[in-house]
Amino acid sequence: MKARSAFTGFLSMLLAAALLAGCANQMEPARKAIADIEAAVAAAGPDAAQYIPAELQAVTSQIADLKAKFDQKDYKGVLAAAPAILTQAQGLAGAATSAKQAAEAARAAALEALSAEWATLSGTLPAQVAAIESRVNILSKSKKLPAGLDQATFESVQGGLTEAKTLWEQATAAQASGNVEAAVTAGRQVKEKADAALAALGMSAG
Amino acid sequence: MEEKVTSADDPAASGENPYTQWYEVQPGDSLWKIAKHHYGDGSLYMEIFKANQDILSDPDKIQVGQRLRIP
Repeated sequence: MKARSAFTGFLSMLLAAALLAGCANQMEPARKAIADIEAAVAAAGPDAAQYIPAELQAVTSQIADLKAKFDQKDYKGVLAAAPAILTQAQGLAGAATSAKQAAEAARAAALEALSAEWATLSGTLPAQVAAIESRVNILSKSKKLPAGLDQATFESVQGGLTEAKTLWEQATAAQASGNVEAAVTAGRQVKEKADAALAALGMSAG
Repeated sequence: MEEKVTSADDPAASGENPYTQWYEVQPGDSLWKIAKHHYGDGSLYMEIFKANQDILSDPDKIQVGQRLRIP
């Protein structure tokens, strides 16, 4: 009976030792699995954070889960989950590159559209503003405004013309410095004011 | 006064400002009358004359059907 008990104890110790050894055997592969995934994420670079933040977050969240498992010594769990996460992590670089290319293409298309709009604005607004300024200068000398134009409206047109000229200077300066977006934004404001002035002065061509 | 506001036929080709207002002379018109209508003050008729010196040589001589720039 005593010998049997001793044997059982020996078996238990042997089993515990085997388990410990097994754990220890899986710890390094688990650590390496996590490190490989982190290296794949790092390889995706800052482009992943900029262009595919949701995908990156999904992988980093899973890495956090893996590390929690590792801290709990669930190396088997780490090794079971790691391959799928590694595949996702390895896909980040390609996905980030694709997303970056798509964003750059969209930006180029938007810039092209802005450049075309600028060409239209710069081709029409100076003449429009010049025509308004000519009329305003003449009306400023008039003893009486024409029918359909009251003093308040005329003063509003004068103010709008001054603003339009200032905005146009800003637009051309922005365009000269390469900021087409700011140029177009200011140009649109000039057009809005110029259209309103032409209408108020009864100069809209028909 | 019946007003006719038109744009130039082909402003780009003619070098005209496409936003220039045009007026077609009607029977009974004078530059004074046209200036009074557009500017509220007939005495500004010389502004119209100066802007149309390519077709007008005398501010008192305008012809029905002429298209005048109204600067």
